[in-house]
Amino acid sequence: MIRNYFKIAYRSLWRHKGYSMINIIGLAIGLTACFLIYINIKFELSYDTFNEKIDQIYRVAVDVKRPNIPVITTSSAFEQIGPSLQQDYPQVKESARISGARFLVQNGAVKFQEENAVYTDPSLFSVFTFPVIKGDIKKGFEAPFTVVITQSMEKKYFGDSDPIGKTLTLDSKYPVTVTAVIKDIPTNSHFKFDIAVSYATSLKLFPSGPANWARIRGYTYIVLPKGYDFKSLETQLPAFANRHYTEADRKEGTNYDYHLIPLKDVYMDTVRGGPEWGDLHNIRIFSAIALFILLIACINFINLTTARATERAKEVGIRKVIGAARKQLIGQFLSESVIICLIAFLLAILLSNSLLPLYNQVSGKVTNTTIFTHAYVFHLFILSCFIGFIAGLYPAFVLSGYKPATTLKGKFSKSGKGALLRRSLVVVQFSISIVLIVGTIVVYTQLNYMRSQPLGFQKDQMLTIDFFSDTAVQRRLPVIKQELKKIPNVISAAASRSLPGFGNGNSETEMENKAGNMQQMLIDAYYVDSDFIPQFEMKLAAGRIFSKAFGTDTSRAFLINEAAAKSLGFTAPADAVGRKIKQWGQNGKIIGVLKDFHFQSLQEPVNPLSISNDPDFNKVLTLKIGSKNIPATIAAIQKRWKSLVTERPFNYRFVDEAFNAQYAAQVNFGNLVMYFAVLAILISCMGLFGLASYSTIQRTREIGIRKVFGASVTEIVNMLSAEFLKLVMLSSLIAFPLAWFAMNKWLQNFAYRIEITWWIFALAGTAALVIAFATVSFQAIKAALANPVESLRSE
Amino acid sequence: MIKISNLEKFYRTEEVETIALNKLSMEVATGEFVAIMGPSGCGKSTLLNILGMLDDPDAGSYVFNEIEVAHFNERKRADLRKHNIGFVFQSFNLIDELTVFENVELPLIYTGVAASERVKRVEEVLDKMQIMHRRNHYPQQLSGGQQQRVAIARAVVNKPKLILADEPTGNLDSSNGNDVMELLTDLNEQGTTIIMVTHSEHDARYSHRIIRLLDGQTVMENIMV
Ligand SMILES: Nc1ncnc2c1ncn2[C@@H]1O[C@H](COP(=O)(O)OP(=O)(O)OP(=O)(O)O)[C@@H](O)[C@H]1O
Ligand SMILES: [Mg+2]
Repeated sequence: MIRNYFKIAYRSLWRHKGYSMINIIGLAIGLTACFLIYINIKFELSYDTFNEKIDQIYRVAVDVKRPNIPVITTSSAFEQIGPSLQQDYPQVKESARISGARFLVQNGAVKFQEENAVYTDPSLFSVFTFPVIKGDIKKGFEAPFTVVITQSMEKKYFGDSDPIGKTLTLDSKYPVTVTAVIKDIPTNSHFKFDIAVSYATSLKLFPSGPANWARIRGYTYIVLPKGYDFKSLETQLPAFANRHYTEADRKEGTNYDYHLIPLKDVYMDTVRGGPEWGDLHNIRIFSAIALFILLIACINFINLTTARATERAKEVGIRKVIGAARKQLIGQFLSESVIICLIAFLLAILLSNSLLPLYNQVSGKVTNTTIFTHAYVFHLFILSCFIGFIAGLYPAFVLSGYKPATTLKGKFSKSGKGALLRRSLVVVQFSISIVLIVGTIVVYTQLNYMRSQPLGFQKDQMLTIDFFSDTAVQRRLPVIKQELKKIPNVISAAASRSLPGFGNGNSETEMENKAGNMQQMLIDAYYVDSDFIPQFEMKLAAGRIFSKAFGTDTSRAFLINEAAAKSLGFTAPADAVGRKIKQWGQNGKIIGVLKDFHFQSLQEPVNPLSISNDPDFNKVLTLKIGSKNIPATIAAIQKRWKSLVTERPFNYRFVDEAFNAQYAAQVNFGNLVMYFAVLAILISCMGLFGLASYSTIQRTREIGIRKVFGASVTEIVNMLSAEFLKLVMLSSLIAFPLAWFAMNKWLQNFAYRIEITWWIFALAGTAALVIAFATVSFQAIKAALANPVESLRSE
Repeated sequence: MIKISNLEKFYRTEEVETIALNKLSMEVATGEFVAIMGPSGCGKSTLLNILGMLDDPDAGSYVFNEIEVAHFNERKRADLRKHNIGFVFQSFNLIDELTVFENVELPLIYTGVAASERVKRVEEVLDKMQIMHRRNHYPQQLSGGQQQRVAIARAVVNKPKLILADEPTGNLDSSNGNDVMELLTDLNEQGTTIIMVTHSEHDARYSHRIIRLLDGQTVMENIMV
């Protein structure tokens, strides 16, 4: 029976190639989009699941509450917290600390700057599941100046020779011993590193206060017994905090709130953040997009199948007359739709596999390198069968329900309920598409807006070399600057700790406010040399900038920005000049106020900022170069750098590129939304094309009659298109408020944002109309140009 | 009113070329009622379509109201047609989705007649065709004779100078057929020129003149008395 079904289904599909193609291709595209989003989301949700103890691991995070300043939420904890918890609470079985670092790593001639390094405890490798391949963590990683490296690092620094017991040099001065090699950290780990340096090393290099209760640093993870309710430990933590306050804490009235965050929630914790985090909000958006695209494809299927109902009505009549039961007819029609979905499934597999690299590129993150891992393909197969079944169900029931008497007489009515349903479904498709089009336009307009706003400083032709605060370089900076400026196309040079767009540190600072009190606040902090502000052309609002003429500028002078002046209560920047300031225990004076410049992306407001002139903090050197012959200039700089600074590789970036790179996440988001909007409209139009051509065929005779009685080609085209264009307009009316609501919400993420104006809707609506018109008019024009004699003759 | 000379029309399909009209010449004067007869496939409908400017000839000349129209383009032909010519078909060719009223109104819409004027004129002809009481019905709800009356109403609503009827009684029984012929005769008496294709000698007798076609050529003309 089934075989018979499939044979007939196959023939029927083959006979109506056009409709089958539209159905199959539309579904295949829909499934592909859905599938790519699915495996991406699966990946995001799989973070840290490779850890065998995932249900027992918790991150300890501390909130700092100080009088007069807002609560500082962190994802970190004091260095001592893990060992102390273990001591105080027997249910804390293990704990591990990890904190980020970077080193210049060297083995003989092989030398690289390694950005993904950490300090960590040996227990990390029993808390988390990072399999050891060579060596033994337990032997030696307790000691200072030992490291564990990943397989990739082993290859990079040692080639094929055995690294265990061998020595690497960190930052050209610390020899360390390799104690073990582990497998590379899985890509779905929320922290990743290539080289782990023993925590004992960190304690040696950066000795901290008594019992390490002074420094919040890195992340601490603890392991609790299986099935243990972490809340019951959490409730005991205020008492724990109380036991461990230092003298200074009590004097200042500082409080610490400890929180335990289950490892399975850590990656999605966007409030506290961490080394790497995912965005549940984006996952929701893309899940919705995937479902909608699939819905659009299913609608095509239902619409085209029921539109063909008239044609199939006769077949149903004949089958019934010769004895087919309704059940068998349903089986027949369902087999057809399942076959369509299975062919679409095969196409979708091919498409997904070849589009995966593009998807990774557009989304800006390599999540899966192949679709043939896990049971993904099997899931898609199940989904396809399910869609075939569900989407086929309605047409199958409608078609199989026809009464043979009416259908055979040929008096079968074409309009009625079916047409209304089809129109509603088209409206659904286009509403979704238009929401996505509006979304795309809003995202791109916002990006464009952010990139075109004046930043308050000069960002072009600024080449910056990172020497990672190497003290040897810091000391020789004046000479290095002097030498590099001798290169013809190098205009000026300035050193600093941070640059706009590169991220910066912050510091708790006390400043004298309008009332004359010392106001405490956490403020973003810049450290620059005296050439920095002239080179970047930041504007002064009041006072003066740093100058070598004032000997005390390096220790006592501070600049603040207008935002900082405002938060101190000064409406006129000049009033802030000469006020007292205290930072890092250093007492100083505010010598000037800079006009606000965007040191962060425009997603953020311009926050209060302090700028001081401290040569010990400098980390990067930025050269302003002429716009001519940039490659040759870079080559010349590199050559000179290599001879001046032998110990540091020439790592450079351009400031404008780095600044714009801050928008990478938004650009990727925009690109993805755009691609899916294009897909949605494409699939919708395929369905519309099918419907239009079907309805046009059905109306051939009517068109002929109208032409005989005087209708012009334009009138016919208008008549045929209007029917569908009205639906698209209705869709716009439904889509606009939805899109406005959604995009307005999205825009709230940005401190500097566009208004959603009417032209965005006008553009989206017009785009949808034009695309729909192009789709429909192709059929309409063909029909309108046909000779009416032909269409009437066939009667 | 109509003068055609050496009119030719070919149909080319993949293998065969059919000569539907072969150097056909004829004339129809204003106010005439002409019947065209001949065996199936001799080119009657082809001729009517060309006369109605639904189709263009491959060669020859067609002068309509002193204007040579043989090489008119589609738009010009459509323009001339909608103001001057009404059609009646064997299979009625009413639009199923439109009511009787709307079907009849159609030609007026395409010639740009104002809505109020349209109502007046449609009601006038529906009255004349005695189907006023059916104005809001759909074609499927009417008998064949009623449908053909609607079709005639539609053909004359624009007050055309020429009515082309292709076997108007072909799908009707004899009593309905006679009604239709009476209507056409009335129209002719009021001054409308009528050219009608028919297979029925009985119907042909309503006309002034019969043109007999054989293989796309005139064989003979009988003048009725
Ligand atoms: N579109 C066409 N393509 C090919 N051949 C055609 C076409 N239209 C008509 N013919 C051929 O042209 C010839 C004349 O056709 P036409 O329809 O004018 O005949 P007719 O006299 O009206 O016949 P009937 O009395 O059966 O209606 C026929 O041989 C027909 O097969
Ligand atoms: Mg004919």
